[in-house]
Amino acid sequence: MNKQQDVESNKFSLLVIVLDTNPSQRIVRQNAQLLTQCVDAIIAFGNAHLMQCSQNKLAVLSCHHHATDFLYPLPGKQLDVRQIDGQYEVFSLVEKTVKQRLSHIITNSPKLNTPCESILAGSMAMALCYISRIQRNAAAGVKMHSRILVVTGSNECASQYMTYMNVFFTAQKLGITIDVCAMDKTMSLLQQGCDITGGQYLRLTQLDGLLQYLLWVFLPDPQMRQKLVLPPATKVDYRAACFCHRELIDIGYVCSVCLSIFCKFSPICTTCHTVFKIPGPMPIKPKKKKKV
Amino acid sequence: MSDAKAGRSGPTTSTYALIPKPANLQCMDLQEYLRTRTAETLEKLYNYPTICLAVYRELPEIARQFVIRILFVEQPVPQAVVASWGSQHYAKEQAASTACLTELNVWRVTAIPGGLSAWELCPTFKKNLKIALLGGGKPWSMSHTLEKDSKPRDIAFLDTYAMARWRCVLHYMVGTGSSNKAQDSEGISPDAVRILLHANLMKRDERDGITITRQGFQFLLLDTQSQVWHFMLQYLDTCEERGLSLPDCLSMLFQLSFSTLGRDYSSEGMSPKMLTFLQHLREFGLVFQRKRKEGRFYPTRLALNVTNKHAAVPAVIAEDDKAQESGYIVVETNYRVYAYTDSPLQVAVLGLFTELLYRFPNLVVGVLTRDSVRQALRGGITADQIVSYLEQYSHPNMKLTESAIKSKSPLPPTVVDQIKLWELERNRFTYTEGVVYNQFLSQADFVTLRDYAQSINVLVHMNERTRTMVVTKNGHDDVKRFWKRYSKSGG
Amino acid sequence: MVNVMKGVFVECDPAMKQFLLHLDETLALGRKFIIQDLDENHLFISTDIVETLQARVDDLMDRISFPLHEKDP
Repeated sequence: MNKQQDVESNKFSLLVIVLDTNPSQRIVRQNAQLLTQCVDAIIAFGNAHLMQCSQNKLAVLSCHHHATDFLYPLPGKQLDVRQIDGQYEVFSLVEKTVKQRLSHIITNSPKLNTPCESILAGSMAMALCYISRIQRNAAAGVKMHSRILVVTGSNECASQYMTYMNVFFTAQKLGITIDVCAMDKTMSLLQQGCDITGGQYLRLTQLDGLLQYLLWVFLPDPQMRQKLVLPPATKVDYRAACFCHRELIDIGYVCSVCLSIFCKFSPICTTCHTVFKIPGPMPIKPKKKKKV
Repeated sequence: MSDAKAGRSGPTTSTYALIPKPANLQCMDLQEYLRTRTAETLEKLYNYPTICLAVYRELPEIARQFVIRILFVEQPVPQAVVASWGSQHYAKEQAASTACLTELNVWRVTAIPGGLSAWELCPTFKKNLKIALLGGGKPWSMSHTLEKDSKPRDIAFLDTYAMARWRCVLHYMVGTGSSNKAQDSEGISPDAVRILLHANLMKRDERDGITITRQGFQFLLLDTQSQVWHFMLQYLDTCEERGLSLPDCLSMLFQLSFSTLGRDYSSEGMSPKMLTFLQHLREFGLVFQRKRKEGRFYPTRLALNVTNKHAAVPAVIAEDDKAQESGYIVVETNYRVYAYTDSPLQVAVLGLFTELLYRFPNLVVGVLTRDSVRQALRGGITADQIVSYLEQYSHPNMKLTESAIKSKSPLPPTVVDQIKLWELERNRFTYTEGVVYNQFLSQADFVTLRDYAQSINVLVHMNERTRTMVVTKNGHDDVKRFWKRYSKSGG
Repeated sequence: MVNVMKGVFVECDPAMKQFLLHLDETLALGRKFIIQDLDENHLFISTDIVETLQARVDDLMDRISFPLHEKDP
């Protein structure tokens, strides 16, 4: 078993957590304490990930109503943290950095007048860029696996449909797994993303024990997940959104050149500017009379 | 003592070898080492969050998942539930993980109301692992706050220092310490020599003084991280004799292992015994301290992640990291070996299994011949050790060749295969001293005797058609007695 | 009665076994040493001949191996 571990252990895992901190989320508006609980659970979960292997890496992004920011690691020099209790200093660093940055972001964010949606697709794109950079700097001969965990209590918004699809296909190409933990409503688009990239989608009905859910379902990396029994994939709603109104549709028109989807016929495709002929009534062919 | 199962061993031959094979170097990893400790010692060890964290990281993957799942659960979890967590296809791996957790006293069986047997984490382990993860408890002993160092040391300095000190030990082993280089000619302390003797890496001879042993040669071929770990384990074996407590030393060692490179730590508040331990670590190059009485020290790369050799080289190269000590050996498909080094130690190690041809100021040329490799094999070095040594120190350019990118190894596959074949050549025979029985009068006699021999595990070979069987020399007496009884009664 | 003989049990590949049979037939080691031919891969030989036999086999292996490279003159 010794030798086997030697061969296997030259790999590490990068986990990027995208946390939706938008105050417009229904669960946050109802109970502001919930955000603190979620942040504590996320920090403990991130540290549990770092605990698995000394080479594992972690990054946390916050998707706020006006911008996406890195909560950990800080760009540039890290905080100088000394132990004040028995917690391993790396874990203390993560905890302190995340909490400090988040409070800085929340206090310095512009005032929110009306509820607005979280630009999760943008945060996921930023996560992909970070992963790509770390991958470039990986040492020769070391295998790296990355995954993105999206934790959100927002509603689904089809307006980000195209960005989501771009993000999912990029992640699929790069071999990055996308996991989603939905704390409020069903997120059908994100579900599609999990399905394509081989990740896990979990919708929670209650938030007590969030940490335990995260540890059970999202902590093992995809190779490890095969060896464990996890919640089976639910039926995914594969409806697309039309490009003109961003509404989910079952039946629509598809441009034969660029495959953009429209709910109503239009003579020129807005994406690739191909011209289509207006379909007239079909010409009726005279029926051949059978000679008896 | 450290007579646990081998991590690395020499060429395998049958157990009752005729020509007695000398002992080979046995390296233990953390799990194996802990298994040699008693349950009471483990209980004492698990009082330290560092040790719990180190043990957790060394557990097999499935075991780690199980532990983290029940870490936050208050009641014991029924065994049937835990068994259902793993998928059927990996039942064997799951069983191995379960066994590992039990042996290391991480969890234990308990009964819950209703009569089902359940698993629960041992309370000490659970409490201290939680402390390491979430906080609470006392800070680890090296973390008192310090004023900023007026003359901070950077990582490059620490690396050079650590390797220079460690090489002193290795040079002493090879006997090249008394060369003209001023730096390397420092001797090592009697303490270190004592550990080398205790570990059987060197032995005391009346005529030649202290010389290197067979295991010592095998030790030289290990990578630095494994060397440090093995050496520290040997040190820990003798620490009780020096009056140091094993849990304290082990905890300190792991605290260093989890520290951040380039950062200084405080030695304030450590007991005098721990300060002695720190001085020993300073001698071997695991920590750097400017002066003995100084209240701060810097852990070096040797101390970091002392049990995991892959972690020694950073997985992600930060933008401003300078190039570290890279490999220097090039192996060609014509069996030639070029080593860009001038260190007498490295040349001496290469000379163990290659025939050195030329020596230049910055380059040594050798060739891998059947004779040179056989000589190494006779000395107890295995083909795997030779291959892994060459791989470990291979020049970065070797990793860029076409074949290296496709396969895992930077070495030419022909050379690797040939080294292994030379090793197999020596094992064309296996001998067992034994006794042969043939010319049985009846088939029944044969079958009875054969089954008996098999049941006491002394049967080596049997052929039903010719009614011949062979038992081991030691088993012969038992079988003879059985045969006498059998032939007297029935037969 | 059963025939009982003490000796050494040898396991090898068929090619090596043929070599041992050859040594035995030609009395190359001074005398016959094979007590029993068990099967394709196993032989039973007398105890005291083992060291001489090992030396002989080593000698054979040396003779059939050729240097894989040319040393510079």
